[in-house]
Amino acid sequence: MVINSPSPLPERAIYGFVLYLGSQFGFFLYCLWAFIPEEWLHSIGLTYWPQKYWALAAPIYLLVTLVIILVLLFGVNMNNTAPLDSLDNMTDVYAKGQKTTDCNKGGIPRLRDIDISEVNRMFYLSPKL
Amino acid sequence: MMEDETFTDISGKAISLSCQDHSSLCKEFVVSVPKVSIGKVMVYTCCVWLLAYAVFFFTENTAVLSSAIFITLVGMMLHIHFVKVDHETLLFIGSLGIQLSSSYASGRETTTFIEMGKIKDIVINEAIYMHQIIYYLCVLLKDPSEPNAVACVVPLFQSSKPRLNCLVKVYKSCQEILSKC
Repeated sequence: MVINSPSPLPERAIYGFVLYLGSQFGFFLYCLWAFIPEEWLHSIGLTYWPQKYWALAAPIYLLVTLVIILVLLFGVNMNNTAPLDSLDNMTDVYAKGQKTTDCNKGGIPRLRDIDISEVNRMFYLSPKL
Repeated sequence: MMEDETFTDISGKAISLSCQDHSSLCKEFVVSVPKVSIGKVMVYTCCVWLLAYAVFFFTENTAVLSSAIFITLVGMMLHIHFVKVDHETLLFIGSLGIQLSSSYASGRETTTFIEMGKIKDIVINEAIYMHQIIYYLCVLLKDPSEPNAVACVVPLFQSSKPRLNCLVKVYKSCQEILSKC
């Protein structure tokens, strides 16, 4: 059976190194495009490239998007948290649908979701040992 | 029997709980939150007015000052009338039901009554609240169509949010009454 684990492997090292070289090369090309004046690029023949404005605008857009995503993620999580008066804090469809009777008396009872009233009695009403 | 001990709420501010036993089947719990301190009010007012004065200094518009005064007054009035809770009461009458009431700093009181036939149980549950997990006491209401299901949850002491030691006291007393009736 193939075990999935996050530990380092030779293949992963190669992928990582290829990505590293690729990203460094991509950055070098981006810097080339950003710094070489328009006339030189036109003279080589590369005429249909984005405006130099985007050399600054694109990274700034990216960073602002990242910050907004961070804030938005926090907000979405808080929005999706069940409020204190919701029944989702106590039980859900799966807990309601489980079988309540256990067939073998005297054996270890089945693993199941315990009702909250019972849990409370056990925690707070049982005498301290 | 009247008890008054200092407990804290979930953020560490001191609150006080007072339990009154009217009879073996009737108990009243009052959780009181400390009143608005005059120091805090003065600090907030000074900050708002200094800010308004700074804006006036740059814009030379006197409407900024008068609107700041108006906003502070109206804001404080709305706060003590709608937001600031003075004490919350839970009156548990064994054969009759539960009465929850919140009394605000301006004197306004809101009351809810839940009759005994609708109450399934009173439990302490843990839930995620903002960035932390808190214990809160809540009343479970029965579902008319199904005998064992819970229809609805009513959290208690929402504005004062006491910590577990306070909740356990209230829970134990309520369970005593529930077991008798």
